[in-house]
Amino acid sequence: MDDFILQFFGINKSFFGVKVLKNVNIEIRRGHVVGLIGENGAGKSTLMNILGGVVPFDSGKLLLDGQEYAPRNPAEAAQAGIAFIHQELNLFNNLSIAENFFISGFPKWGKTPLIDRKRIRLAAQEFLAQVDLNISPDMTVEKLSPGERQLVEVAKALSQDARIIIFDEPTTSLTARETERLFGIIERLKSAGKTIIYISHILRDVLRLADEIVVLRDGEVVKTGPKRAFNIQTMISSMVGRYLGTLYPERTSRPTDEMALEVRHLSKAGIVHDITFSLYKGEILGVFGLMGSGRSELAHILFGLDTHDSGEILVEGNPRNHRTPRKSIQQNMAFVTENRREEGLLMTATVAENMGLVALPRYATPLGGVLRQSLLAESIRNTVSSLRVKVNDAFQNQAKGLSGGNQQKVVLGKWLMNNPSILIVDEPTRGVDVGAKYEIYSIINEIAAKGAAVLFISSEIEELIGVCDRILVMGVGEILGQFSRAEFNRERILQTAFREGGK
Amino acid sequence: MTVTPKFSPEAVSNTLKTFIQRLLLSEFFIFYLCVALFVALTPFIPVIASPYNLSNLFSNTWPLFAVAIGQTFVLIIAGIDLSQGAIISFTSVIGASLIATKVDPAVFGQSPIWGKLLFEDGAILAHTPLGVPIALLTMILVGLLIGFLNGAIIAYARIPAFMVTLVTQMFFASLAIYFVKSENIINLPKSFTSIGADSGLLSIPLVMTVVLAVVAHFVLSRTVFGRWLYSIGTNLRAAVVSGVPERKVIILTYMFSGFCAAFASIIYSSRMEMGRPTLGAPFLLDIVGGAVIGGSSLAGGKGKVIWTFFGVLFLALLGNALSLLNVPFFWIEIVKGSVILAAALIDVTRTRILQYHV
Amino acid sequence: MKPLVRIFSVLLVFAFLMAACTPATQPADSGKKQYTICFAFQDLETEFWMAGHKAITETLKARGYKVVEVNSQEDANKQLEQVKNCIAQKVDGIIVIPVDGSIALKLIAEANKAGIPIGIFNRPPQSDEGNALTVVANNEKIAEATVEYMAQEAKKLGRKVKPLIMVGDLGDPNAVGRKQGFYNVINKYPDLFETPVEVATKWNADVARDGLQAAMTANPDIDFIFTSSDFLYPTIQGVLEPLGKWKKIGEEGHVIMGGLDGDKTACSLMQPGNAYVDATGVQDLYFEAQTLLDAIVKAIEAGEKQPDAWLDDPGFALTQGNMATKEMDMWGCKLFHGK
Repeated sequence: MDDFILQFFGINKSFFGVKVLKNVNIEIRRGHVVGLIGENGAGKSTLMNILGGVVPFDSGKLLLDGQEYAPRNPAEAAQAGIAFIHQELNLFNNLSIAENFFISGFPKWGKTPLIDRKRIRLAAQEFLAQVDLNISPDMTVEKLSPGERQLVEVAKALSQDARIIIFDEPTTSLTARETERLFGIIERLKSAGKTIIYISHILRDVLRLADEIVVLRDGEVVKTGPKRAFNIQTMISSMVGRYLGTLYPERTSRPTDEMALEVRHLSKAGIVHDITFSLYKGEILGVFGLMGSGRSELAHILFGLDTHDSGEILVEGNPRNHRTPRKSIQQNMAFVTENRREEGLLMTATVAENMGLVALPRYATPLGGVLRQSLLAESIRNTVSSLRVKVNDAFQNQAKGLSGGNQQKVVLGKWLMNNPSILIVDEPTRGVDVGAKYEIYSIINEIAAKGAAVLFISSEIEELIGVCDRILVMGVGEILGQFSRAEFNRERILQTAFREGGK
Repeated sequence: MTVTPKFSPEAVSNTLKTFIQRLLLSEFFIFYLCVALFVALTPFIPVIASPYNLSNLFSNTWPLFAVAIGQTFVLIIAGIDLSQGAIISFTSVIGASLIATKVDPAVFGQSPIWGKLLFEDGAILAHTPLGVPIALLTMILVGLLIGFLNGAIIAYARIPAFMVTLVTQMFFASLAIYFVKSENIINLPKSFTSIGADSGLLSIPLVMTVVLAVVAHFVLSRTVFGRWLYSIGTNLRAAVVSGVPERKVIILTYMFSGFCAAFASIIYSSRMEMGRPTLGAPFLLDIVGGAVIGGSSLAGGKGKVIWTFFGVLFLALLGNALSLLNVPFFWIEIVKGSVILAAALIDVTRTRILQYHV
Repeated sequence: MKPLVRIFSVLLVFAFLMAACTPATQPADSGKKQYTICFAFQDLETEFWMAGHKAITETLKARGYKVVEVNSQEDANKQLEQVKNCIAQKVDGIIVIPVDGSIALKLIAEANKAGIPIGIFNRPPQSDEGNALTVVANNEKIAEATVEYMAQEAKKLGRKVKPLIMVGDLGDPNAVGRKQGFYNVINKYPDLFETPVEVATKWNADVARDGLQAAMTANPDIDFIFTSSDFLYPTIQGVLEPLGKWKKIGEEGHVIMGGLDGDKTACSLMQPGNAYVDATGVQDLYFEAQTLLDAIVKAIEAGEKQPDAWLDDPGFALTQGNMATKEMDMWGCKLFHGK
């Protein structure tokens, strides 16, 4: 008889009227590894957030061990034995490993408020041993490598008696060796009777680890079955489905042969090595790379947020050495950063304040910088409406109240108001829902059509294939290969990216 | 985003709630509070509304407001300037030691500036026609310079403002004391002391401070520089990525803060008719308190000149009223402390209400 | 939001209660007008000021005056503010213990402008501009009498002595007078005294300790100490004791010691059989309070707006020689013996 630990029956969930989960039915067997795959925005995170008590579901039924289960907060989920190992780790870097384990309830000396340090250290040591970590529980987390932190999270889950452990993209920041080690641990957890939900974009890994695979698309379960029913090709086709053709807007313009940006032998020790490429006006040049490949670091250097050791950057033929973001902006460069919250937006400022920020000097008197306010407001209104930013009142509402897609449009908008001729976008569709993705691709398309050069950095091969004229593949800080549109091939791009992986 | 309808629309007390919400959200909230306090107290202490008292009340408000404007700018960029008090003291000593008309050698003989700036028959610029204007200019320049020092260290060494300005505060407060060996420089010329002399409600300090406030308000609300201040305070990293020349802005902000402190020092020194090495020491709580009560946030990104005016006025009015009520001195401090705490609470409440209204 | 509303209601009720309690709304006593005196003092950081504060407030209340007390906590600007608030309330007289001699001048000017009599207690204005009733101990005379007794004791040693003086804040004329009195005696006996060592204190115990420590290290032969204020005795003891120089009178190596103020500590250090201090100059605190109050009341009742007088407290020196008869004339000893 099937022994299901977790069953989803007809789960529905909407955000702001957008259905993100539609009648989801999944049954998970005890002690199995379930691979959960789907594109960004397919609903994986929402589904797991429901499981982890982060968000409630609208309708349907969720059974845990045959009992109805509707966690109201993460603490309840943890109590029920569900542990969530996040992409961004949830450890306190300034505390020791042992303290992290017991942060939600330290064991005390009898009835005193004093923490029983010896006990937490011994307990922590035991759980660290279960994940093969031979380090002192007194070490602070900040001293650990990303891989070690991941394992500490797993040990923490074990210390809290987790029965179901969810891994969300656990390998993105790990080295090849650390990844192997993690997989070993996952196998061991499975044989110890733990149930694992493994979410990843790296399909090979899923195929290797999972007993069953569930494919989500657009909030629906489109395919589910045992591992043997899948191969990489079928996984992709079910993930992308019939949408592949319409997921991306048509490229209507062609790149010119006028050089906008040229990079020659750019190096920075430990970050990027001997990067050489050219970017043409009207071109959308993709840069594919996994985390740690140096793709974002390269963008930071190009925009003047970071320095480089050697090599040249030429903007429209002019070499520039001492660069700051401000100088880059004066040369009409624009940079949509990977991280909206930290680098992109003034979250507590209004949409209008965000939109105006870059182009402010354009709307001010040259002397004294007095703003021409009505001109600026007019421009902001135009941009808000042309980008179709969904906001009640751009001059009153704060940026943090917007959805991810609209926030990203605000970031794009603030750069567009400055009429950039070179636009660098880093993961522009991360955390953006499917509908808004299409709009963002269209905006980028239009910018290129107007003659601007676009450097499109992403870790999603499909969107690069869908949007770009040419793709550079980066890994370990180097450019490992180049593909023109005619040569686009997912497998070959991935192979190129991994060529250096074993080094 | 979880949207919990905490303010249920069915509630009967809805109107009252909306009213209180609106009141709390209004940027004139503290001003209304000032008016309410004034009106409530007038029947009990009619003297509070007497012209003498009002002129007294305001004469203490103007210089405090001037310094607090500088502090507001610094708070907006998520900094803090603890050195303002020391700048007040130091520039007070510098200004007075240029223009004192008579210096007692028994008192200042040991001072390191004796024989250099201070002489028995007067300070170095005493009895010269341009002495007072040069002294005023020097005070302002010294204020700007100390501000520049603060700003440059904060912007380039990236040491927290709290640390940097604490150190400059200690350094210049001590330097002021060292220069005059703790003594106050008296016998300042009439042309200097008349700046801060009481001349009814429409005084020179009022005109000076209002001009400063109007300019500061204009800079904050109508210029690129003002927008840059708010963006730096809201999210420094995002501001840098967006091309805000953050170092230049930070340095200019601390220079302005120093300028405001020196500006207030002129008013204070002339009003007390002396150069006083401990002049600015007690003001810090009132300066930061005034700005925060007005609505500037210690977390940065928030603040307006007019808010700070209300905050400073409220503190001054409260102190004045309690003093006129002959409340024992320790109660005055306790009540002031409670009010600053209440202001912090209001700030939190406002933020919470705003979240529900997004 | 509830707690917020509550806090404000409490504050408001509080304010009203206080308002209701103030005698400002009370009718004056039948027939005779009740005078209101504003008493602005700098702080209560030493015994001397505490005793002075007590003497003044008690005397005023005993005479049926209403007293408005304000404490400036050594903040001159605040004191100016407070005195102006008193003027706004139209008090009948003002008594000030000024933060220092320079702010006293400004306070006198304000009171004169408003036509309210002002009395300055113990800490004289930096110059004699303006009209005020100023009661000040005759510091020079008192210091001279004290140091004279110490000199006579020194003569008994039959050798030259090395004197040291703890100098006060020279912005305070009291300190200048005490220093002058000390030098009057030193210069009188050139054969007895070597050149004196001066230690600046700024009326601050920390400054005094550092200075004294340095001076004792540089001149270990010092055997004669005069402190310009009694409140520094604990500081002196703290420096001398580790050096083995804190010795009772009559013991080998006793440092001849004297001071000025006449506080409780000084009294305790002069007790027979356990005496470390040879003599202390006494400011007659109760006499000063009494004299100043008498003068200001007289001025108020006579309708004088700007009375101007210098009231002298002759003081005296309490010595080991006259302890038996004069001890209870010193305010510090009254406190010491619990009276």
